[in-house]
Amino acid sequence: MPDYVIAPPPQAAVAVAGTDALFPVRRVYCVGRNYAEHAREMGADPTREDPFFFSKPADALVACAPGQNGVSPYPPGSKSVHHEMELVVAIGKGGADIPAERALEHVFGYAPGLDLTRRDLQGEAKKKGQPWEMGKGFDKSAPIGRIVPAAEIGHPAKGTISLKVNGETRQKSDLSQMIWNVPETIAFLSRLVALAPGDLIFTGTPEGVAAVVKGDRLEGHIDGVGDLQVTIG
Amino acid sequence: MAALMFPATPPVTLAVAGSDARIPVHRVYCAGQNYVAHAREMGGDPDKQELFFFDKPADSVVPVPNGGCAVPYPIGTEALSQEIELVLVIGKEGENIAEAQALDHIFGYAAAIDLTRRDIQSRLKKMSLAYDMAKAFDNCAPVAEIQPAARIGHPSRGRIWIAVNGKILQDSDISDLIYSVPRIVAKLSSYVRLRPGDVVYTGTPSGIGVIKRGDVLEGGVDGVGTIKITIS
Repeated sequence: MPDYVIAPPPQAAVAVAGTDALFPVRRVYCVGRNYAEHAREMGADPTREDPFFFSKPADALVACAPGQNGVSPYPPGSKSVHHEMELVVAIGKGGADIPAERALEHVFGYAPGLDLTRRDLQGEAKKKGQPWEMGKGFDKSAPIGRIVPAAEIGHPAKGTISLKVNGETRQKSDLSQMIWNVPETIAFLSRLVALAPGDLIFTGTPEGVAAVVKGDRLEGHIDGVGDLQVTIG
Repeated sequence: MAALMFPATPPVTLAVAGSDARIPVHRVYCAGQNYVAHAREMGGDPDKQELFFFDKPADSVVPVPNGGCAVPYPIGTEALSQEIELVLVIGKEGENIAEAQALDHIFGYAAAIDLTRRDIQSRLKKMSLAYDMAKAFDNCAPVAEIQPAARIGHPSRGRIWIAVNGKILQDSDISDLIYSVPRIVAKLSSYVRLRPGDVVYTGTPSGIGVIKRGDVLEGGVDGVGTIKITIS
């Protein structure tokens, strides 16, 4: 044990269905514009251009499985925080340059997740060709439910993905509407960075993104994967 | 702490000059286009734009010992670029930190290099897309040992330079920073809560080049320290 000047940061970790052991998180990657209708609502043309990626800090995750009473405080620096409901892939086996046809062997499991976004900061950055991190990578910006092992549920390629805010449905689509499916996403991402056990990939959000306010109650659902519940504090 | 399904990646730690102690890295933030001539060479407008930030993964930090070390050439690029920078390390937590108090939150300083996959950055910037993949990859953040502010004070001037294979590519002075260290801390902490172990890159001067395998990079910030890496 080295002599630390300051305490090391706590390890980010996510609950796993069927066990008390936690999934330790190394990095959090996110795919941009991966549903055609969402690409359109963001003002882009959903062509099959290569996917692009951004990141969130691992400790931006918030435990939000049902019963965990997850709270994501309204962040500073923004007047327009949006919800983006997503399927999250948990990597169990590392690798670089992974071919799409072998990609699912690298997946440990899946979870429902929310990419909270400071849309005003992201919009400004986009306009100027500047990086998006302050729009995407803030504290508690990544509520996540329980990870369900692929060994139990397989690899979901279709099924409803939805989000309700205060009981009203805001986002509803189907996993089959992804522009780049999970194996293709893993293949592309692993050409840019070596994946390692503990990496999470948020796979993009469908249309219907909108602003949240303090006190909002968000409930996400993905068929066959599970639910998440978070309150904007 | 509950049991983990498999061992977690341990935090990267940086050496503290003059002691055996180490600093575990929490997050890595970088200020963009913070020297006038570099902002212009990147197509920015230093007179008009506000300071902006991007991130690198905490475990992409390479702790560079005195005497140097090898850093592998990354995957996914054919145009790797070096950016010499002064980095500061946060010692005290805070949010919305006032400029006048900013220095109280700094533990120390080091010379560091921001390695950038320039081809990926140009392509994504052109499309107004997030360019994390240009900046945030394995081993992209070589950082020399940390000099505690208690030892060296808070440097506000001093030559910042880097040579590639003995040829000077970047040569400026940290007094040319557009946003000074206190202003960087104040601005960044208006977006995110800073925590002990956060490493903040303060920006690079003009003169970025394209580097290749076998290149020896040697640079420094006068009054802070030097850094040497070989691209392998």
